[in-house]
Amino acid sequence: MRKLSEGAEARVYLAKMFGSNVVVKVRHAKAYRIMELDENLRRTRTRREAKAMVRASEAGVRVPELFALGEFSIYMEKVTGSLLKDARQRGRYGEIGRMLAKMHGANVIHGDFTPANIMITPSGPCVIDFGLSEISESAEGKAIDLLLMKRSIGDRDYRTLAEAYGSGYAGSKQIFSRLADIEKRGRYQIRTLM
Amino acid sequence: MLTIGIESSAHTFGVGIVSKGKVLANEKLMYDVGTRGMIPSKVAETHVKNAKTVIRMALEKAGVDMREIEGVGYTRGPGIGACLQVGQLAAKTIASGLGVRIVPVNHAVAHAEITKHEAGFKDPVTLYVSGGNSQLLKLSKGPERRYQILGETFDIGVGNMLDAFAREIKLKPAWGSTVAKLAAKGHYIPMPYTVKGMDFAFTGLLTYASSLAGKERNEDLCYSIQETSFAMLCEATERALLLTNSDELTVCGGVAQSSRLREMLAGMCKEHGMRFGFAANEFNADNGGMIAYVAERMLNSGVSAALDRCDIEQRYRIDKAVVY
Ligand SMILES: Nc1ncnc2c1ncn2[C@@H]1O[C@H](COP(=O)(O)OP(=O)(O)O)[C@@H](O)[C@H]1O
Ligand SMILES: [Mg+2]
Repeated sequence: MRKLSEGAEARVYLAKMFGSNVVVKVRHAKAYRIMELDENLRRTRTRREAKAMVRASEAGVRVPELFALGEFSIYMEKVTGSLLKDARQRGRYGEIGRMLAKMHGANVIHGDFTPANIMITPSGPCVIDFGLSEISESAEGKAIDLLLMKRSIGDRDYRTLAEAYGSGYAGSKQIFSRLADIEKRGRYQIRTLM
Repeated sequence: MLTIGIESSAHTFGVGIVSKGKVLANEKLMYDVGTRGMIPSKVAETHVKNAKTVIRMALEKAGVDMREIEGVGYTRGPGIGACLQVGQLAAKTIASGLGVRIVPVNHAVAHAEITKHEAGFKDPVTLYVSGGNSQLLKLSKGPERRYQILGETFDIGVGNMLDAFAREIKLKPAWGSTVAKLAAKGHYIPMPYTVKGMDFAFTGLLTYASSLAGKERNEDLCYSIQETSFAMLCEATERALLLTNSDELTVCGGVAQSSRLREMLAGMCKEHGMRFGFAANEFNADNGGMIAYVAERMLNSGVSAALDRCDIEQRYRIDKAVVY
């Protein structure tokens, strides 16, 4: 297995299974936190991530196909392309807005919706890393999905995204007003992810 | 050059004296919060009573005479208005009496900068954890440098959260240090854990732990609320370090005195081969030394304020202050 990435909470490997490329995402143990808490977190997050991927996929969002599930690991389709944050060509923000609209319509909150977690493939954007996802109706959670992306992309791209999101999701009005509230709380300055 | 720094943003009246980046004195007197919490006017009254004494203590400790002081710094904010005003007034009185330059300082910048200085780091990610604040910080690049907030609490600071819980189980609130004592003998109870990217939230945890007060052993509750909240901070911090490609971490603020939090952060940094540093506890508690340290740097960079421009700002956000 070749390591593709070493993230804050998971290692992502590329493996060959039955002749095809498979991505294996393994949540490794964190020695700095107590074992009970650590295992609880990793187990629930692994399950939650798989569940959110399936829900998003059912809602018509392009995500890696789920192959198999272990206690702390997810086996999934290898997506070809580059991350939006590294992509050469400009992102397709209309499409990304529509994808977020579909996810929120199905009450899938991504939880870490940034250009580091969207892959640009020849056939369009694909959302990855549902590691902090939740299935919930929470307007706050949905607004934070928008906010995280808004903070990481340019104004024009965000407007494109927001427009597509607005027309794709019936509940978007409430989410936009919650987003405005959150921004007014003053805790959020524009911060660009480096 | 000798610079005096005055801190009075909350329940501590602190005076520090610095010369060429070296803290010669760092004295303070505190209002005893007890279990009743803070009453701003009472705290301010205590500060007024203590001001002269603490200034004299600092001068004696540094072995210098007031007339040798060449620069004055004071905490402009963030903090409690009535408390900040006492330090502001003391600083202005000294500056005008001696006819020396004066400069307002951001309290959070001072914690971050003195810690970076003490640790000997260049460009760390900083976890600032005090009563009212919990933030992940990094200095911006460019000519006008400011601390950028990479992540922060959605609701309350970790210190206030631990203190609110301490009150709930009739302990004395003190940045979680009383909770820490009981935690040493506890076992784990699963509790809500909320991290979103580099941000986090504590009220869910506080509400849940409080709802178990009286039903579970206090030791177990303290252990679990501490382990859970610190693990949340560690996770957000780890993400901030990796996202910014940093290899240095500092922790500062009142809660940075927790040996358990330090142990967890140190362990996390070790796993990644990163360096971890913190300052002596006198600089993690509120203190005048850090104010004097930053004031000296500002004055050396030619920054000072006219006496009638020396205001206070209760909500002086760290990302509004230019760092010199
Ligand atoms: N299905 C996939 N196909 C191709 N690459 C992937 C896939 N899943 C993850 N990756 C790669 O691994 C990296 C980390 O995966 P991710 O799920 O985002 O984990 P983390 O929680 O560590 O961010 C991604 O940035 C991407 O480069
Ligand atoms: Mg990711």
